[in-house]
Amino acid sequence: MKLTRHDRIGLVSFTLPGLILFLLFFIIPVGYVLVVSLFKWDGMTEAVFVGFDNYASIWKTSVFRRSLTNNLVWALVATCVQVPLAVLMALILNERPRGWKLFRTVYYFPQVISGVALAMLWSAVYNSEYGLLNGILKLLGRADLAKNWLGTLQTAFPAVLIYWVFYIGYYMVIVMSDLSGISKDYYEAADIDGAGKIRQAFAISLPLARNGIMTCVTLAAVMSLRQFEQVYLLTNGGPANRTSTMVLYLYKQIQNMRYGLANAASVMLIIVGIIVIVGIRQLFKLWHAAYE
Amino acid sequence: MKKLLSLILAAILLFSLSASAFAQSSAEFNPKEEITLNFPSIWVGTDSKAPVFAEMVAAFNEAYKGKVNIVIEEQTDYQAYRDKIRTMITTGNLPDLFSVDVFKLNDLVASGKLMDFAPYLTDSEWAKTFSDGSLQEATVENQLVAIPFESAGFGLYYNTELLEKAGYTEFPKTYDEMFVMAEKLKEQDIVAFPLMTGENAWTSMLWYSNILLAVGGPEVYNRGLDDPAFVTAAEVLKKMFDYTSSDAVGAGAAVVNGHFLNFEAAVYTNGPWFLPRFAKEGVNDLGNKVKFALPPEYTGGMGTFGGMAGTVQAYLCAAKQDNPEKEQAIVEFFKFITQPEWLYKLAATAGSMFSIKLEANPDDIQVKQDLASAMAAAPYLVKHFNDQMPTAVANGFPAALDELVLGEVDAQGFVQLLKDNLD
Repeated sequence: MKLTRHDRIGLVSFTLPGLILFLLFFIIPVGYVLVVSLFKWDGMTEAVFVGFDNYASIWKTSVFRRSLTNNLVWALVATCVQVPLAVLMALILNERPRGWKLFRTVYYFPQVISGVALAMLWSAVYNSEYGLLNGILKLLGRADLAKNWLGTLQTAFPAVLIYWVFYIGYYMVIVMSDLSGISKDYYEAADIDGAGKIRQAFAISLPLARNGIMTCVTLAAVMSLRQFEQVYLLTNGGPANRTSTMVLYLYKQIQNMRYGLANAASVMLIIVGIIVIVGIRQLFKLWHAAYE
Repeated sequence: MKKLLSLILAAILLFSLSASAFAQSSAEFNPKEEITLNFPSIWVGTDSKAPVFAEMVAAFNEAYKGKVNIVIEEQTDYQAYRDKIRTMITTGNLPDLFSVDVFKLNDLVASGKLMDFAPYLTDSEWAKTFSDGSLQEATVENQLVAIPFESAGFGLYYNTELLEKAGYTEFPKTYDEMFVMAEKLKEQDIVAFPLMTGENAWTSMLWYSNILLAVGGPEVYNRGLDDPAFVTAAEVLKKMFDYTSSDAVGAGAAVVNGHFLNFEAAVYTNGPWFLPRFAKEGVNDLGNKVKFALPPEYTGGMGTFGGMAGTVQAYLCAAKQDNPEKEQAIVEFFKFITQPEWLYKLAATAGSMFSIKLEANPDDIQVKQDLASAMAAAPYLVKHFNDQMPTAVANGFPAALDELVLGEVDAQGFVQLLKDNLD
């Protein structure tokens, strides 16, 4: 269809404000981050151009490499454990079992609680002196297993991850909205063909809810790469930086007034983010192709 | 009746005297138009200085009505406050007034955005009110870039009842003796030292500072991180973790404070601002069971018994001004809030100590009087580790301490981790 002059004016006037905002609040700041990442700058004195030295410098740092690894593990757990759990719950609740509305509310409830409150709560659960977890272990006669969960090298990162994995409400609701849009006819036809619930889930529900699932996987991966609040509040990256993430690392570089390093870490985060998102899209393209 | 009348008369006299003092200083300053000064302040909300500080600002605004108006921007979180000031410095938008605690004055001076108070203080009556050496501490490259305000000494405080359970009526004089005591406390299931590695590892850092002075003497920082004293002090600090609570790794200030206030730990260190909390928040009448102790001596160390970590804890700073009247207004405000009458009031309510000379107050709690006496008699007071080190090294202390305590590195490795944070 050929656009008329009038259409073109309409198109430009509707897209221009968005484009200007995108340029002002995204492209220019990202460009600024990129430029500053090439300088040694403490925010006080003149910035000195150092080329890619900041990138080499952070890459040599074990804390940065550990932060990157933690982020990737986090993203993997989010996409391979948290989202599947959410999908499973959505499939179960979509069957409308007794009390499903209550369960839906209960699972979604943590999403409306402040992350700070949750972190404080779990910090108390994990505390070695008065924490609930150690209390339960002692009740069960396994006091030998009690430990400082957030202060032990082997348990700190899993402890931070595990409590978060079960907050599935957000993704569950997205998938449920997709599932509720699937026509009942498919399920009735499958029933007539003798397909059981599991078969129906794999043959009907999941393929038809794949757009919602893809949204969840993408969001989960992106949010995992942006992890800050929960780690900052629970462990501040400790013990010995074992729970550090890339955003926390760059925040600490800002605290150290090393803006060049902080911005280099930001650029790395953007690159990792792009790679992860493109990877996820490619995987889903294959899934889509299988049904076309 | 007569008594009441004389009291009222005395109060009126006192009020008129102080009002005239303020009026006099206010009368001497007549800007062309009212000057507004923005002051993002941490001394608000639930901060112990908040009530008196608010009174000070209100009194100043009243005394300088139509001339100067101080506008307080409330910041209730210390870390958020530091982040804000850091960002404002970086973006070149320094507030008119602000306070500084952990920032290095050297870093701030490099920005070239700080007001120089030297013209207002050199050879002035105001300068004479400051304690010895405090103005020099605020002088960088011949510029007096800050007004020293709050000061602190970092002695030790012990729970007499818990120590008695281990058979001690006095605090040991050496670290060796202190560890013998710690062992006896441990036998009684009492935590000897509440320590922390979370947040900025504040109380552990204070212990390290005092151990470092005991091992390496007052010149230890001048010799740099290569000095073996840093390693030896780390070994001592690590040993202390054998006698701490199980949640020490990753613990923040609230945890450490909680252990001492709840009668769970025997020996504590912090600044004077914490001392009123022993009575206010401690259980089992803790306020009456805490005694002050000097940091122990290290056998064979270069330190002198009685020397301790002590520092200007908070400075008052201002942004460089183009308008001389605004500059004068800043000086008027800082002069006003550094008047002893206000500081006595602050000291009484918040437990603070100041870089301004004040008479000893017999109404102060005993531990604070003991600390003040110890600071006055100290052969040296040396800034603590965080104040001495570049920002990145100070910020790297908690993670390095984690590594040390969890056995990932030895004391030598701990110091190396600190060095790795140097540029």
